[in-house]
Amino acid sequence: MKSIMDLRNDLDNNKTTHTDLFNEAILKAHKYQDEFNSFVTIMDNMYYTKSDTLIDGIPYALKDNFSTKGILTTASSNILKDYIPVYDATVYKKLKDAGAVLVGKTVLDELAMGGTGTTGHTGSVKNPWDPSRQIGGSSSGSAASVALGIVPFSIGSDTGDSIRKPAAFGGVVGFKPTYGRISRYGLFAFASSLDHVGVFARNVKDTAIVTDIIKGKDERDMTSLPDENINYVDNLDNDIKGKKLFYIKEVVDLNLYKDAGEETISVLNKFYETVEKCKKLGFEVDEVSVDEKLLKAIYPSYMTISCAEATSNNSNLTGIIFGPRGEGKNINEIMFDARTKGFSELIKRRFIQGSYILQRENQERLFKNAQRLRRIIVDKMNEFYEKYDAMILPASGGIAPKFDSEIDRMSDRYLILENHMAIANFGGFPSITIPNGMVNNMPIGLNITGACFKDSLTLNIANKIEEELGYKNLIKEEYDV
Amino acid sequence: MVTKDDLKVYAAKLMFDMDDEGYDRTLKEFETIEKHMEIIGKFDGIENVEPCVFPYVIYHADYREDIANNTLTNEEVLKNAHDTKANQIKVPKVVE
Amino acid sequence: MYNVTIGLEVHCEINTNSKNFSWAKNSYSEYPNENIDTVDLGFPGVLPVLNKEAFRKSLMMALALNCKTPDVVMFDRKNYYYPDLPKGYQITQMTKPVGIDGYVMINVDGKDIKVGIHDIHLEEDTASMEHFSDYSLLDYNRAGVPLLETVTTPSLHSADEAITFLETLKGIFLYTGVSEARTDRGEMRVDVNISLSKDDTLGTRTEMKNINSFNNVRLAIESEIKRQTEILDSGKIVEQETRRFDEKQLKTYLMRSKADAIDYKYYIEPNIPPIKISDEYINSIKKEIPMLQFDRVNKYMNELGLSRYDAEILVHDKQISDYFERVISMGVDAKSASNWITTTVMGYLNKENKKISDICLKEEYLVELIKLVQDGKISSKQSKQIFEHVVTENKRPKDLVKSLGMTQITDENVIRPIVIKLLDDYPNLIEDHKKGKNTFDFFVGQVMKQTRGQANPSITANIIKEEIEKR
Repeated sequence: MKSIMDLRNDLDNNKTTHTDLFNEAILKAHKYQDEFNSFVTIMDNMYYTKSDTLIDGIPYALKDNFSTKGILTTASSNILKDYIPVYDATVYKKLKDAGAVLVGKTVLDELAMGGTGTTGHTGSVKNPWDPSRQIGGSSSGSAASVALGIVPFSIGSDTGDSIRKPAAFGGVVGFKPTYGRISRYGLFAFASSLDHVGVFARNVKDTAIVTDIIKGKDERDMTSLPDENINYVDNLDNDIKGKKLFYIKEVVDLNLYKDAGEETISVLNKFYETVEKCKKLGFEVDEVSVDEKLLKAIYPSYMTISCAEATSNNSNLTGIIFGPRGEGKNINEIMFDARTKGFSELIKRRFIQGSYILQRENQERLFKNAQRLRRIIVDKMNEFYEKYDAMILPASGGIAPKFDSEIDRMSDRYLILENHMAIANFGGFPSITIPNGMVNNMPIGLNITGACFKDSLTLNIANKIEEELGYKNLIKEEYDV
Repeated sequence: MVTKDDLKVYAAKLMFDMDDEGYDRTLKEFETIEKHMEIIGKFDGIENVEPCVFPYVIYHADYREDIANNTLTNEEVLKNAHDTKANQIKVPKVVE
Repeated sequence: MYNVTIGLEVHCEINTNSKNFSWAKNSYSEYPNENIDTVDLGFPGVLPVLNKEAFRKSLMMALALNCKTPDVVMFDRKNYYYPDLPKGYQITQMTKPVGIDGYVMINVDGKDIKVGIHDIHLEEDTASMEHFSDYSLLDYNRAGVPLLETVTTPSLHSADEAITFLETLKGIFLYTGVSEARTDRGEMRVDVNISLSKDDTLGTRTEMKNINSFNNVRLAIESEIKRQTEILDSGKIVEQETRRFDEKQLKTYLMRSKADAIDYKYYIEPNIPPIKISDEYINSIKKEIPMLQFDRVNKYMNELGLSRYDAEILVHDKQISDYFERVISMGVDAKSASNWITTTVMGYLNKENKKISDICLKEEYLVELIKLVQDGKISSKQSKQIFEHVVTENKRPKDLVKSLGMTQITDENVIRPIVIKLLDDYPNLIEDHKKGKNTFDFFVGQVMKQTRGQANPSITANIIKEEIEKR
């Protein structure tokens, strides 16, 4: 399927109709479902309300942790396997009102807590570029459905890097704007202070188009930002001469990866090639230095904060008002049974950790220290943003991993390189991953992270770099031809 | 140090159980937590830093006007509950 | 005898149109599960949105209780599992509540006592449950209703003090309009902490939760004092624990020991950004707080010369107290106004089970009525009749005096001939009178009968006396 702008042209020139596009997308969704497993639900019926936006009549996919009235929403967990919401997430409502057509609800890591795409209750999502590899997560199906060309865009959520990592592994664009730019109402909470809504598409312009539609103040989300009167898509081509980029030496210094495999070296070399291209484009690019200890603490702090918040956020899953009812003689037993059966072991382990972190006697040492570290990192970044417009870094230290070889995010080599994108969640910074070429026939990504509220500029920078790199509208089956 | 029995108590307080191997794996993960905290605890003067709860703070205190609107019907309230009676959700007796 | 120390935690629902964090109606309803918004059920993805009015009223209460209000208010989560708590946590305040370090003045048996307020915080109510033999039903109408928790310091020392504090607090809720504080609807619930000791140090405390009437608070305190006294007398120690008061047995029972105390894992609610409170905002709220009961009683006693008894009756209902103040501002002396209001007016209201705002008794009418009596234009008895007409027909007392022909006859030249005729008709009764028998009232009654009650009683009495003596 073509990009949003091309489809817009076709629709406006009566070369196609929204019904044709929906049917085409559904057909493709079914065709790829067995092999790649992008969807929990593929829509049987089309719901379409005419509108005059750029995405009117355009099909899309929605991560299955957004509330959709009357449509099964599972968060890829058994504890919600029969849950049919009675209300619409704000994002879904905005897309509906804008005339976009829902194709399906996509698979995620259970309750969005994971980065592999292997923990959903309906099975693993495969990487479109190589089905023996992961697509990453947690917005696995949303990334895959765009990478497979089923839909031109999809919606995901991002708590640590859940949009931007799978975007990199799938060779597509993944963007989460500033915290609060898009309402979280209706997004099943994982870690509320880190959760972001965002967009997958196959080029930056499409990403901007969709973001323009779904952003905005929401009376149902107190953390949503006041409206700004900027259209991102209109500002993509602004001149970037003299704009300043930086990257952190301690993340990408080749000397740190002397004993790493050729794959990591290739990824880093690609990154440095891009740095040179950025300079050619007219950006100033500086290397900055950050205490390695601080960078190594990103992942632990992220895990600590996110597990703690997740434990509390998921306390509503008891099978009383919604979700499968447990069995038992009294109400405690039925709640207990519902949760015992409903959560996978991985989720339970994280909840136990989270509750331990929040225990009165541990809060200071664990939870609050992690929050303190979060502040040190955010302050450090904001210091940089006084001087620079955006940070660029590789989205990952390698290509998408094989199913049988999970990256150990805690191993010394990858502790920083695989986890730095959580910085953008800590500070609520707008952050986008765009394709940065191929290594071993698999896509890799470049991450660009701007200062808070500078969503337009971040997209503008990404668009310019994308133009220079030329990896646009990647779809595996077309790429091979 | 946290023991397996502690973990079982924590799980029970979170209203779930798992098999024995699950607790073993959880116990192993707790070593990771301790490793995490060792990393974080290394920062000099961290105790003087104000914990960061929100990504950023701007005071746009736009709370809600006090206007009432019941957005769900009784039918919608009960729609996902597996047992109902007299327009309410029915559950086995609550242990007092 | 032991020193008794009591601390109270009082939960009171705030009177708003909608719930604390959702749009659903905040009102007492007999239909279950009809005042509901997505937020109240804790559906995945919902977010709390703070009610401006609940927030304003909670600050008003904090100020009325002389609390310090913070520059920035925040909310916290209290995590625990219970079927009446849909989200699995309650949004409450710990870190930056609406008020801390306040106090309330109360008066117990004529003695002023300062009760410390540890803090006051805004939170949300739970769902209500109805229990049957083998099942329970859940109604979420109450889930999310704004709830204000007032926590005292351990500064009360008897059941009387505790009850007076609760009544004073209830009065403040009513005076500020923050809550109707109706215990019969469960709008006000009390947790009682109580400890006994031989000296000035605090003993081990026990807590009794969710007591739903002031009378039960008294009974619970008394029974717990008795229980703890018996334990201490026998040389044992009181365990720190949570107990349940059984109103039928008049005894408290163990609910939870200290070892089973729940760790609520409080942490700051990330979905509600901190709210900055400006001085202007605080001042605008302060202006809306009326003078409260304690101060009004002192004012009525010290400035207006009323008795504590009358003053307390007047301030019981703010509408009455306000009415009283308007009446005296119109030039009636405080004592007369107080007498009228506490007896005739309130007697009528009690009899009819009405509020002052329910009846047509304009302040100026009452003033007119009082003055008619004071000027001797009508008798006190007549004034009571006119009062009945005023409140039922909404007419001016002066007009009623005319239309009912109730103008008092004070003219001796009218009354004297009636008396003379009467004495002529009953010579034997004059004899009886002179022998010491009371026939005097008969003569007065007859004059009243013949003048249809219009004769001024004291003038009539004087003339009868004079005329009898002449004979």
